[in-house]
Amino acid sequence: MKTYIRATGNISPQKSFGHQFLTDVIEHTGDRLTCIEPDYKGIIDVKLIRRMSRIIKMGVAAAMECLQESGVTVPDAITTGTAYGCLEDTGVFLTKMVEHNEELLTPTAFIQSTHNTIGAQIALMLQCHHYNNAFVHRGFSFESALLDGMLLLVEKEANNVLVGGIDEITNISHSILRRMDLYKRQQISNLDLFTTKTKGTLAGEGAAFFLLANESSSNDYATLDALHTFYKPISIKETEQQIVSFLSAQSINVNDIDLIITGRNGDIQNDAVYDQLQRSIFKNNSAGNYKHLCGEYPTSTAFALWVAVNIIKTAVVPVVISKAIKNKPKKILIYNHYQNIHHSLLLVSAC
Amino acid sequence: MDKLIANLKVQIIEQLNLQDTKPEDIGDDQPLFNEGLGLDSIDALELIVLLQQHYKIKLSNAEDGPKVFKSVKTMAEYITEHQPKV
Repeated sequence: MKTYIRATGNISPQKSFGHQFLTDVIEHTGDRLTCIEPDYKGIIDVKLIRRMSRIIKMGVAAAMECLQESGVTVPDAITTGTAYGCLEDTGVFLTKMVEHNEELLTPTAFIQSTHNTIGAQIALMLQCHHYNNAFVHRGFSFESALLDGMLLLVEKEANNVLVGGIDEITNISHSILRRMDLYKRQQISNLDLFTTKTKGTLAGEGAAFFLLANESSSNDYATLDALHTFYKPISIKETEQQIVSFLSAQSINVNDIDLIITGRNGDIQNDAVYDQLQRSIFKNNSAGNYKHLCGEYPTSTAFALWVAVNIIKTAVVPVVISKAIKNKPKKILIYNHYQNIHHSLLLVSAC
Repeated sequence: MDKLIANLKVQIIEQLNLQDTKPEDIGDDQPLFNEGLGLDSIDALELIVLLQQHYKIKLSNAEDGPKVFKSVKTMAEYITEHQPKV
């Protein structure tokens, strides 16, 4: 059974809100890419905004834009994926614990700091009492939310599902992650990410939502044909086998793929996996990248999916994604790995 | 009392993050909950913490809540009555 992607909503370090698709590429300098946010007052009730941290506002606004485009007012289910959750409120709560000696803690930051806050807040705003689940599985968080959504549709538990992938950078989280040597030491432009050939990447964040449906409409972006995840492959051979098996389960092979969107992030060690694949099973395929536009974060596959379905819908491959392809891609494979631990494959096709 | 009321309004706005609300927008006798300022149960918890943090007053009886938090004026009266003497 096919899963249709009927609508999207995306807040990212690019101008993606308002259904803009990389017409005006934004350059960031430094070691992190911060989202370009809309004025939330026209989207969320002011009385609710006052309690929302940045990630909640981003998630809720992206979800609202997605629902508005889909014409669905109350979805049959909501699934969200986030690795870090609502870090800003977590930081506020923990800081107050230290400052006030574990006494006099304000409830709002604690209530809003949980990983399911965004899905719950969307449901509260919509008065949606249907299935609602949040997945927190590091580099598989968005993929798990997506898989849950697909299963709900296949098992006819729902006719449509709102699925989102959300993560934020805060000053506290960024300074901790920086100490782990994850990011570039030198100040570079995100648009030069793949030319530095050095260690480290750029931190990223984003909130992307999709309305999945089990029936086609006249205005779908694409179909989501399949999704597969695999954990810590022991060798590049195993990765190759996983990819080949994934495609053969769909009765296709790599030659049927018009464009492969890879999760290159500019870190030489990370990108070695993609280099090897592009010398072996992907050697005849056109490839594109996306992490120079959104940065590296555990749910970045949500941004990649947004890129892929927009390419299919508009029949245009922005040069900033790939210079190698001119034809209208009908079948796109997304292959991403997060720290060579969490590997995921998503296959999308034209309707 | 007037100074205490003025301070309370600033502290309430800050604690509850009442964006676009200025101290002069809150009337001394204006109800804080429901049809007044529109606060809710989570805000009530925040106000209890505010009393403890800024005035060292612990609301010992939860049933006093609706009376104490009726308006900024009733809060100020409660603080004046219960603030520990230095």
